[in-house]
Parts: sequence; structure tokens; C-alpha cells
Amino acid sequence: MSKVVGIDLGTTNSLVAFASVGTPQVIADESGDRLLPSIVSIDAAQTIYVGREAQRRLLTDAVRTVYSVKRFMGRGIEDVTDEARWFPFKVSGETGGVVHVHLGERELTPPEISAFILRELKRRAESWFMKEGDFDPEVAAAVITVPAYFNDAQRTATRDAGRLAGLEVLRIINEPTAACLAYGLDKRHEGTIAVYDLGGGTFDISILKVEDGVFQVLSTNGDTHLGGDDIDRVLVEIIAHDLGLDPAAHADAIQAVRKAVIQAKWDLSEFDQADIDLPVVPGLPMSYRKHITRAEFEALIAPIVARTLEPCRRALEDAGLTASQVDAVVLVGGSTRIPMVRREVATLFGRPPYTDLNPDEVVAIGAAVQADILVSGRREMLLLDVTPLSLGIETMGGIVSKIILRNSTVPASGSEMFTSFVDSQTAVDIHILQGEREMAADNRSLGRFKLRGIPPMPAGLPRIQVRFQIDANGILSVSAHELRTGIEQAIEVKPSYGLTDEEVERMLLESFEHAREDVEGRMLIEARNEAETVLAGTDKALRRPDFGEIAAAKLTPDEVARVRAAAAALREAMGTADRAAIQDGTAALNHATKHLAEVMMNWTVQAALAGRSADDVAAKGR
Amino acid sequence: MQPDTSAIPVQPCKNCGTQAPVDVHFCPRCDRILTLGRHGDYFTFFGLHRRLQVEPRDLEQRFRALSRQFHPDYFHNSSGTERLASLERSSYLNDAFRTLRDPVARLEYLLKLEGFAPKEARAASSQVPAGLLEEVFELNEELEAIQDLKAEGAPADQVAARLDGARIPIEENLATHERQLAALMVTHDARFNEGDAAGRHATLEAMRTLLLERTYLTNLLATVRREMSGGEAARS
Repeated sequence: MSKVVGIDLGTTNSLVAFASVGTPQVIADESGDRLLPSIVSIDAAQTIYVGREAQRRLLTDAVRTVYSVKRFMGRGIEDVTDEARWFPFKVSGETGGVVHVHLGERELTPPEISAFILRELKRRAESWFMKEGDFDPEVAAAVITVPAYFNDAQRTATRDAGRLAGLEVLRIINEPTAACLAYGLDKRHEGTIAVYDLGGGTFDISILKVEDGVFQVLSTNGDTHLGGDDIDRVLVEIIAHDLGLDPAAHADAIQAVRKAVIQAKWDLSEFDQADIDLPVVPGLPMSYRKHITRAEFEALIAPIVARTLEPCRRALEDAGLTASQVDAVVLVGGSTRIPMVRREVATLFGRPPYTDLNPDEVVAIGAAVQADILVSGRREMLLLDVTPLSLGIETMGGIVSKIILRNSTVPASGSEMFTSFVDSQTAVDIHILQGEREMAADNRSLGRFKLRGIPPMPAGLPRIQVRFQIDANGILSVSAHELRTGIEQAIEVKPSYGLTDEEVERMLLESFEHAREDVEGRMLIEARNEAETVLAGTDKALRRPDFGEIAAAKLTPDEVARVRAAAAALREAMGTADRAAIQDGTAALNHATKHLAEVMMNWTVQAALAGRSADDVAAKGR
Repeated sequence: MQPDTSAIPVQPCKNCGTQAPVDVHFCPRCDRILTLGRHGDYFTFFGLHRRLQVEPRDLEQRFRALSRQFHPDYFHNSSGTERLASLERSSYLNDAFRTLRDPVARLEYLLKLEGFAPKEARAASSQVPAGLLEEVFELNEELEAIQDLKAEGAPADQVAARLDGARIPIEENLATHERQLAALMVTHDARFNEGDAAGRHATLEAMRTLLLERTYLTNLLATVRREMSGGEAARS
């Protein structure tokens, strides 16, 4: 039987995981990397790069490279104009329509770009199954996760992406719920659980009740435009201003700044100070270094962290609970590694949060568990999720009449009666909205539906029952019939921020035309990926604030020089397409750093034993 | 109250054609999930009597047990008919649970079921219930006086104190209504157990009146609270 995998299609990174007989695991690529950067690049020859190679191309060909495309899923151009300025790629679109991303000659929609990422994960999983000697390595279906606070258009866009990647999307589940499922595997986490999920681009809070294997979501809240990206942008803007960089003119340089900023952000989760270190790259007017302390960093990001707290309070209120009634708090998403985030969450809930599982992987693992439940039909565990936003229709005067309330367990349904306003009217327009506001204009438009084929009758006589059904994916479908005649009404859907079925079919055909496998190209990319892993490890050691001290005590100047030379040589080789040279360089650097790595490891252990730098050790222990 | 039908209403199972009682969830013969056709009500669906006191724990356990039977997750490999039946039954279950777990929603639902719902719900809620006429009249006068006070530029704490004075009696009245409703629920269930249809009828009637008043009082309280928070904003 072909395989069903779990996929976390993240803003920053995506992962694929598989569970069989209840033991889920994240699938790594050929170089052992479990995270796939959610980045896609298309070069002038129309070759498509996904993941780390695309990430490298951000520094050399930024305008043909797209990242954080999840922030554009199911959204309109009017939602993203502000932040689009900071992205290297151009976006366009009509108000109320789908966003188009420009990559060189091609214009692609966010589901098409996400499909490249999904296809890469599918390939990764298939080659892993093949290597495992599986007789049927094909991956034909998946459970894909989305932020709990995603609306109907964003969920539908995700499902379209799956279809475009040649995957049957068996289920869309919410990221915090998936994480809770992963935590629930060991049965220790029963009771009322709050899942705080701060990722690269989105924030969710879900409150669940876990009992007898049933994971029942009581309430959810969040912000689909709040995450690590926003933290990065605060720092990028400061440095761009210092350097006089204009994002429109210096796309590559801005990406170099962004890379350095992200590195400093990571460092600040471990140490109380870091350097934002910019190498001299084309487009940068000068080399640049900025020292930043954790306190300064926290002052800058405090407003962003604060924005997560109000949704937490609202979720608690909707669940009818106080913070002290929550039995456990679970942290998910890379941004929860930031000490300030942990501190604020601990303060709000009055208890330290759980961080036992890797916050980057826990969602994919939960998705794999859910995939296993669907395929096997095993009933030990059950997810009962909710719809995050109320669903309603526009009535007279632009007011919304709510039909399904937020935090209703899905599947959920509701119905509403309609009639005609004039004699012999045969069609009625219905405008569907999602959101909590009273006026239609303040909510999210999901689409306009036209009810046709109403039997001609005097005004007010037809009794048309329109039924709204939200399925277990949180996706809406609509059906209608006239009660007097029993005639089923045809419904034409014009999704506000989505693709029509015809558009998806057309894109599917186009994607086959563009598809081609480049074996040698792939091997080169794998060699570069491995080289990068080794380089990153070396850089991390050299960048430690206490490196000077360690080097003086344990290393010879000669050795440090050899490491630096090997790193520089490898970096140069990576710029070429010479696979053999890259592989040799990687081996050489690995050899040169063998002793250094041992020294670093011992130093950290010694420091831990001596109780020195307790903060640092605690951060690593997580 | 309803005439006892000797024949149990049935519907055919779409899989094997067996005439299955409308209030069972699975076909007695082939064990497939049944299409949700015409059937009883939320209470019957949960296997409960039409009583107003529901043990939350028990209701929750029934909900979880039924979820484990119907949920679409478990019908992923089944036929289209069964998948649809699972979706419809799960939706209905979720709607029913949402209604029955909340005492007020439960009461409103039972009133509707027993034919006690006001015909024009919207018109009824905007009309002042007879039992509250005097109170509402006084409150409106007081609110006007407070508005005047504000317009004259009275100190904020003075306005707040007056608003507090207006709020407390409503809250007390609301609390009385809650107590009376709770007591009537107990009476209702006792009459139900005794098979006393007339007595049950009378308590339902009384509860309908109380419920209308309660809705009205809740809205009044919201008005006063809005005034108070408006005062806060003006102060800061």
C-alpha cells in the first residue's frame, strides 16, 4: 500500500514525518537534514530549487527567490502590500483576488509555490522508503498541518497546494492540535493543556482537554501574521537604515542582513550577547558589525511578544477557564526558543512550560500520528478540533448574521432560510463571511454564492434552505434546496481569495510540463548542503563569545589558523559547480575541526559541572 | 404528552435495506452507520430523557463515546454513503452537545421542542416583559439622569457611583431569576419522573416567562456596563 505521511508546511521550514505502528519519526534528507527551508528559487534556465540551495540563492539571486510564502496563502494583495516591500520578490494581484509572486519570467500563486515544497518533501519521503527497502515507496497522500487560526481561504489554498504536488490531502489538521497529539503519545499529558505555538510567520494558542485518548479543543485564537519573521524585520529595518539600504534596490544585500540578523537572534537564545556580523558582499556598501545584548534585543521585540498574550487571554475566556486551571503549557515553534517568550508564557500561565519535544519537529510528528489513525482506523486516539472563526452571511444593511459560532467543534453545520424579494425571482445572491465583527465589511469575505433555479413564485413564497457544512478540515461547503418543491439548487462558488477548480486543473497540467529531473544537479546540491552543515558547525564554535578564552587554553594558534583556512577554502569551493572539490573541501574541514569539536564539547561539559554559565547550559539542555 | 405511537418509526438502511429504527445510529443487521434521517431530538440522540438536570460528566462521556463511533476519521476507508452519514451524524452530535451542555441553551431547546418557544423571537425580546415594566422604567430615568450629570461635567467618580447604584439592583434581580429557574428545573424533572404532564406543562410555562425576563435583564446589564466602560475611557 502506498504511504500516507504527515507534513508540517511551515513558514520557515517544512518537514515530513511517518508513523507506522505508533512510532512516528521525522524523515531526513540524504545529508541528514530534517528541516527543509520553505524557500523556492527559479533560475534563468527555469531550473527550480527548493530548500537549502534556494536559501543560498537568496544571497545571489534574491529577486528570483521566494521565502515565507505561507504568509501569502489565501490572502489578497491588499493584505500584504506593507510587508511585501521587504521581500526580494515582486507581488501583484487584483484587490480581492489571489496574490501572484513574480519569479523572473514566471508568475506563480502561493499554492503553486507551496506545491514545489510539498513535492520536494514527497520526493524526500519516497527516497527514504526506497532506501529502507520498502516494496511500495510511493507517497500518494498526506495529512498537512495549518495554523489553527487559518481561515477557510487559507485552508483551501493549502489543500490546493497538496493537489498541485500530486498528493491527496486526507486531512488538514491544526498545528497546535498536532503538537498536542505528539505530546499525548506518552499519556503523561492528560488534563487541560494550553499549546502556545509561535512559528516563523504565525501565532496560535489552543486550549485542549485531553482525556481517555480524546483530544478535544476547547478554544483557539491567534494571529496568522505574527512570528519570527516580524522579529527579524525589526532588526533588518534598523540595520538597513544604518547602512542606507533600500529594499527595492538592494535585494541581495537585504538578504545578507537578514541572514546575519537571524544568526544573532539564535545566538541570543543561548548567550546574553551577540554580534550581528555582515561579511562584505556585493551590494553592501561596507562591512558592518553591530554588538547587541540580550536586554537590548528584548526591548526591541517586547511589543511583538506582547501581541501574543491577548489572544491567550481570549482563548482562556472562550474556554471558560482561568490561567490557573490549565494543567500544562506546551511550547511549539522555533520562536519559542527565545528566553523572553518562555518567560512571558510562564508568567501568564503561572507555571513553567513544557519543552521536552523539539519545537521544530513536534507538529510534523503529530501529523504523522493523525495520518496513521486515518489509514489504520485505530480508535485509541481521537482529535476533536474547532473552527477558529465564526461563519456568517451578509444580511440587509451590511450586517452579519452568524450561522456557526467560533470554537464550535467540527464537523459543524448550520442552516439559514432565504426567500425572494420580487415576484418570479429565480436567483438569490449570498455573501459568506468569516470573522467576529458585526459589519460584513470588517470581516473576511470567503466568497459569493449565487443560488439559481428557484421555481418562479410570488415574492416571499419560496423557502430556500441553505445548509453550511464545515468538515473536519475546517473547510466550508454549501448546499441548498427549496423546501416547497424540494428542488436542489445549483450553487456557483466564486472564492474571494482562492483558486477555482479549473485553475487548479490548469496549473496541474502546467506543472507537468515544467517538471524534469536533474540527477547531477541534485547531487551537487546535496554536496553543498553537507558542506554548509559542516561550515555552520565550525562558524558556531568560532563565534562563541568565550572562544578567545578557550583557544588560549586548549588550542594552538596554528590549529585555529588551519581551521580558518579550511573553512575559507570550502566556502570558495561552494561557489563553484565542482562537486568533487566541494566534497574534498568538506572532508578536509571535517578533519581540521575534529580536535576543535572535542575541545568545545569538553569545555561545555566542564562549564556545566562547574555550575558556571548556568543559563547557557540550561538553554542547551532543553 | 405526545400520543404513544405503537409502531416505532423506521428508515431503510442504505447498505442492506433493513428497516432500522430512526433513533439508532447503526444498522441492527449490517452494523453500518445509518444516514441521518428524520428522528427524535438531541435528548434521544444522546439516549437521555427530556429532563433539564444533566450531569455534565455523564453528558461529556456520552459525547466522547458517540464521537468515537461517528467521527469521519474512522470512515476514511468506507463508502461515500457512509462517509456522508458519518459527517452528518458527527455534525449533529457536535451541535447537540453544544446545546445540551449549557443549561440555558438546553432549556431554550426543550421549550422549543415542547412548543413553548415564542413565535416571534425577535419581537418578543425587544418588548419589555410585563413583570419588569416598573424596573425598566426606573432604570431608564436613572440612566437619563446620569447622562445629564455627565453632560454637566460631573466628576467621574460621582458618575461611576451612580452607575453602580443602577447596576446592583439589576444584578440582584438577575440572580433571583437564576435561582428561580434552577428550582423550577428540579420541579420540572420531578413532574417528568412522576409522569405528571400537566404539572410539567405549568413549570415549562413559568420557565418561559422567567427566561424572557432573564434575557431582557442581561441586555439591560450590558447597557449599563457599556456606560460604565465608556466612563472609564472618558476618564483616562
